[in-house]
Amino acid sequence: MFRRATRKTLALAAAAVSAAGLTSACGGSSGSSGGTVNLTYMIWQTSEEAAYQQSIDVFEKAHPDIHVTIDLVPWAQYWAKLQTSAAGRNMPDVFWDHLEYLPELAKEGIITNIAPDIASSKIDMSQYSSKLVAQWSNGSTVYGLPKDWDTIATIYNAKDLKAAGITPAQLGSLSWNTTDGGTFVRALEKLTVDVTGKHPNEAGFEANHVKQYDIALEAPNGQQDWWDFGVQNGCELQNKPYGTWTVNSAACVQAMQFEQDLMYKWHVAAPGTVTNTPNAAALPQLLAQDTAAITFDGDWDLDTYQSSLPAGSWGVAALPTGPKGSGTVFNGLTDAIYSGTKHPAEAWELEEWLGSAASEKIVTDSGTVWAAIPSLDSGFIAAWKAKGIDVSAFYTGSQGTTIGYPLTTSGTAFTNVVLKDMNQVWLDQMTPQAAANDITTTSNAAAANGD
Amino acid sequence: MATKRIGQRVRGTTVYLLLSIGALLSVAPYLMTLNAAFKPQSTLLSTQAWTPAAPATWSNFTELWRQYDMSGFIVHTTIVAGVITIGQLVFTTMSAYAFARLDFPGREPLFWGFIAMMMVPQIVTLIPLFLIMSHLQLIDTYRALILPYVFGTPYGIFLVRQYFQTIPADLEAAARIDGAGTWTILRRIMLPLSKPILATLATITFVNTWNGLLWPLMATSSERDEVVTVGIAALQGQFASELHILLPAAAVALLPLVAIFLLFQRHIVRSIALTGLK
Amino acid sequence: MSANIAEVATKPPVAAAAPRRARRGRTTLEAYLLIGPSLFGFLAFLVAPVVIVFVLSLFSWNLITSPQFVGLANYRRMFTDSQSWHALLNTAYYVVLNIPLQTVLALLLALALNRRMRGTRFFRVVFVLPWMAMPVALGVIWNWIFDPRSGIIDHIISMLGFTGPNWLTSSTWAMPVVASVNVWQYTGYTMLFLLAGLQAIPQQVYEAAALDGVNAWQRFFRITLPLLRPSMFFVLVTNVIGSFQQFDTVFVMTQGGPGQSTTTLNYYIYQQAFQLFHAGYAATLSILLFAVILLVTIVQFRYFRKRTIYDFS
Repeated sequence: MFRRATRKTLALAAAAVSAAGLTSACGGSSGSSGGTVNLTYMIWQTSEEAAYQQSIDVFEKAHPDIHVTIDLVPWAQYWAKLQTSAAGRNMPDVFWDHLEYLPELAKEGIITNIAPDIASSKIDMSQYSSKLVAQWSNGSTVYGLPKDWDTIATIYNAKDLKAAGITPAQLGSLSWNTTDGGTFVRALEKLTVDVTGKHPNEAGFEANHVKQYDIALEAPNGQQDWWDFGVQNGCELQNKPYGTWTVNSAACVQAMQFEQDLMYKWHVAAPGTVTNTPNAAALPQLLAQDTAAITFDGDWDLDTYQSSLPAGSWGVAALPTGPKGSGTVFNGLTDAIYSGTKHPAEAWELEEWLGSAASEKIVTDSGTVWAAIPSLDSGFIAAWKAKGIDVSAFYTGSQGTTIGYPLTTSGTAFTNVVLKDMNQVWLDQMTPQAAANDITTTSNAAAANGD
Repeated sequence: MATKRIGQRVRGTTVYLLLSIGALLSVAPYLMTLNAAFKPQSTLLSTQAWTPAAPATWSNFTELWRQYDMSGFIVHTTIVAGVITIGQLVFTTMSAYAFARLDFPGREPLFWGFIAMMMVPQIVTLIPLFLIMSHLQLIDTYRALILPYVFGTPYGIFLVRQYFQTIPADLEAAARIDGAGTWTILRRIMLPLSKPILATLATITFVNTWNGLLWPLMATSSERDEVVTVGIAALQGQFASELHILLPAAAVALLPLVAIFLLFQRHIVRSIALTGLK
Repeated sequence: MSANIAEVATKPPVAAAAPRRARRGRTTLEAYLLIGPSLFGFLAFLVAPVVIVFVLSLFSWNLITSPQFVGLANYRRMFTDSQSWHALLNTAYYVVLNIPLQTVLALLLALALNRRMRGTRFFRVVFVLPWMAMPVALGVIWNWIFDPRSGIIDHIISMLGFTGPNWLTSSTWAMPVVASVNVWQYTGYTMLFLLAGLQAIPQQVYEAAALDGVNAWQRFFRITLPLLRPSMFFVLVTNVIGSFQQFDTVFVMTQGGPGQSTTTLNYYIYQQAFQLFHAGYAATLSILLFAVILLVTIVQFRYFRKRTIYDFS
């Protein structure tokens, strides 16, 4: 009796433990089994997974001995996971890299300098957009083959535009200034309506009871709002790459002030209570709900607009021009190779494939993302033309004056303080000058501490 | 007399009314998720969440299954939660019995050590746990998900120990006189009397494992072992565009637990009635 | 989960029939065999990480470089870091919003369901359903419910002729919203424990009171509440600990914002560890949180020990 009971209990316990063991017998990340090398490729954009899977299918066909697993981790948790796996020295072999984090990863030697591989594989770097190559190199070191780029443009609700009597072409040729707001503000006034149907430039307009704002501006760090006004006003966030922060320069503060004025002086932009990240509804949602008639947004959100708004009800136009002309934030991603990968040769083969014209063509022709190889970009335009959207404004923007992501090892500290202070500014509870001063001091201190 | 009866009836109706409002509030978020999951993609964002899905469509669910390995997520989560639940039932029963009924040196310090660990915030142990699992080369395996929890939690041990203490000791004493050993007593006397608390423990464990996000997010990276919370978090990174996928996914993730609870509710309500008053 | 610690109030277990003579050695062996697996799991996956946390709190580490020993610098920083105190205050504010409301609601529900009437089982089951909701799955619905433009709450408020605030982007309202979501999730679960306590009160006590002509209020305050104290103690201790460790709702709904307004200490630890990558400092903060929870729990013990008249264990 005693025996039987014991055996049965132990058997149950053993079953529990061995189930844990058995089910994972096939485990071991990026290991090799039966001659096949397993690589992990970590990305963050759900909407791009399908296109990259398609590209990787082609790669695997050409390299039957390499198996690639895509690990999709949303942006909100991507860097937490990446740095934790860095701590455990258990990183994905190849992963998407962003300029906000590049300097830190490069400094710590976590990612591979691929300059020697580029030389030995004779890769023609001139095929890529020169701006991207410059962003991702530091002296003679190169940290990844450019895989895409993005810019910011105006997204509009076609019905509202029509009701206000503005054509998309007119929308794309507005200009703003810091004194009277310029044609940009005049147009926005026509698009903003309060509950009684009045516009902000009319007597009796109720700023507290707006039915629909003209514009919704929303960005955690400034990429889709004040950085763009900034570049149109000659603002430089840093004095040079890896240099000191200059966010408190007059040009930058004016840009912030202009955006604050759009909310509280001209009453044409949705105030911070509607748009402050991270809690606000996303920009495509604000447009779909008719909270706003236009937004500034990056091309990575195109899919979202397409699926949340009826076909033909929205479109893309150029950003306005500012006192110093046109301008947009221009950014791009690369694939990084983990310096501790067990399969550096295979990881490089994957990198080389993902950066090749053949792979970038697959991805860009599906309308997923602009290619880092400029000659392929017509494929992206064509893909969206087939869906009825003219996306050329993003391309035009990329060819004009642009500002890149700041390059610094204090990126996380900068993003953190910007989010905190600018949310106050957009609530009209802090002056742009005070915010700019705080951002500059805090970020420079962080850069000096190596924090 | 008559007024008193009317008064009682009014009071009874008021209580029912308030309870019904409470019940509605309790299930409203579930119903809204379910309702919105059946709306065609084109009306999802432009209609209110509570407007009935008319016409209702299964297309979001078919789309979900076409694009994502939802079955895989569910299977992995069930494996992980199932193994952890079985393990906890066995190991928790064993140690709870020892803490409740056996007199051995070190019992008190050990027991209070377990209790103290309940107060440690779990967030920051994620990094050490990851380091330990990396060191054991277990990252991205089922073992990484299962091992930290399969041996029981302080809370579970405590819950079951409290229950064991309510079982009269003379039953055991009689069995011991008849020559029964500890294992026999555990199996023949304690277990049959402990079904409700074990059902409760099973539910709590299953629910917690099913709903846990951060550790699985850190510890796994391939579709071989990713669980449903990780899949949903990935969809959430894409809030607006994937809403027509996210909502049915949420519905699919929420409903199994409701089903399990309805299955066990009789035991759970009873077992808490027996332990909770301590 | 909110019910995180069970009723520590209970006395040490009533030792079973004292083991006799030579059996003692065997009992010890048996006992350790029985607790063996749990003890192993406890040491390897709970105690070891906590030890590592204590060690980490003496280091500066961004997870990528090798850790640098900094002595007590993280502790000094903690005392001068205004954000850590802000987070601690936020946590206290959250606990104050959450615990009384949740406890009172749960008690009212339990009283209502303790009556002999139809449908109590149905209500009991329905009220517990929120407890098992997966936070990450419901996040999108919460944001939808509290959306100032298309959410159902502002819809109802505007039907009554008022304008609702921007719940989640207002630093005044975000924390009450987070607290109310938690009240939604855990009230039913708490109710179960209080209901159990109510059902354990012997009917004779009430009958005797009725003979003495006690009215309903007196009955509640003089009999029900004192006799409910053990259950109440369990519920408060577990829920307070759970509330101090609040993470899920903040993570899913507000990410600590707007500004710092919903950054609880536990969320601040997450930010430090996984967004700013100050792993050492995060470890230090979690020791602070542990100390605070320990202190609050001890205070609760003292209070309830002193005032518990009826001992039901």
